[in-house]
Amino acid sequence: MSVLFDRTRHPLRGLLALLALTTCSVALAALPLDLPPVSNPASTEHHPGKVIWADLVTPNLGADESFYGGLFGWTFQTIHTGDTDYAVVLLDGRPIAGMLQKAIPAGEKRRPAWLTFIAVRDVDAARGIAISHGAKILSEPKTYAGRGRQAVFADPEGAVFAVLASASGDPPDFLAAPGDWIWSASFEREPKQSAAFYKAVFGYDVFDVPSDDGAEHVILSSDDYARAAIHTLPPAHRQPHWLNFIRVLDTVETSAKAVALGGRVVVEPYVDRHGGKIAVIVDPTGAAVAVLEWSDTDTKVEPK
Amino acid sequence: MSVKSLPWEVGVAGLLLLGLVTACVGVVGPGGSDGTVGVGYVGGYYEPYVATYGGWGRGYNVAPPRGGDHGDHGDHGDHGGRGGPPSIPSRPPGHH
Repeated sequence: MSVLFDRTRHPLRGLLALLALTTCSVALAALPLDLPPVSNPASTEHHPGKVIWADLVTPNLGADESFYGGLFGWTFQTIHTGDTDYAVVLLDGRPIAGMLQKAIPAGEKRRPAWLTFIAVRDVDAARGIAISHGAKILSEPKTYAGRGRQAVFADPEGAVFAVLASASGDPPDFLAAPGDWIWSASFEREPKQSAAFYKAVFGYDVFDVPSDDGAEHVILSSDDYARAAIHTLPPAHRQPHWLNFIRVLDTVETSAKAVALGGRVVVEPYVDRHGGKIAVIVDPTGAAVAVLEWSDTDTKVEPK
Repeated sequence: MSVKSLPWEVGVAGLLLLGLVTACVGVVGPGGSDGTVGVGYVGGYYEPYVATYGGWGRGYNVAPPRGGDHGDHGDHGDHGGRGGPPSIPSRPPGHH
């Protein structure tokens, strides 16, 4: 003992320095992300069931910034905390999405994807309802200063989505500008059963849409607005999933530009029954996003 | 050996170890399975790999409903009798 604790030889001090360095490094990595508010200026509105955010997880943040910036005019505000790189996506200075740099887990074949965030008032209550209706919790509820509280679930068929109780209220209901998210859809094996799940969690009104394409189409609405759809999983697709749509002025032109920027077109532009063209593109890292033309001269009567 | 014989380094080492364990819990945190990105942020998720995505086309209607387009088609869901689905918001930003 006398040797071990002999202060003149400082046997513990090297170890202490190493321990201090390790602790500081790990603590820095654990610092919470300081995320911007979803609504800026803050809103007093709450729209449970509305898609209010999307996050892309990507193994190459730089490549995706170049792609999406070139395609939609997005700009980016990078947040670096510890070992996390997160870019806030801005459209005309307004935050509309995020991109998280993260390596694909070693040995796993995974596909980068946009994660759909749906507004709730109480994340923990939504968690309980989701579990009781067959969902799986992928990330437990967690609060981020500025952003709010969020969690990630897989619905009973396995489609992944997130819920978010925005600390700054939900964005008002306006028509999306070109370059902004305009629509979201989930593709499921049993759309009607899935609709029952989402209705239970978010309180949606559910509408079946008659169709002659051999698929089932269900519209989910809240506040008298259509919020999302559930469609029959297309042939050759095995994994139920969400897909988000960005409003563009010209789908054909956007698709060509996506290819020029290193992306791929996986659903060629086609005219949907409402007259606008739709296409699905895949970014350089493999994440899918849909683009949609939408005329602002529709006949919707605004709710009072 | 008495307590007095312990040097201050032992106490510091104990505190650092405690801090390290606490920080590790913060880093690993929730998630980390099924493709979730559990390091510090719960918003990232890698989907299961698919060799080819897409492939559908004309006739597979996935756009949002237009106001008035569906009202006469009936409703076979749990909203029966109230007509078709509403559309997406149409007001431009800044209009109330």
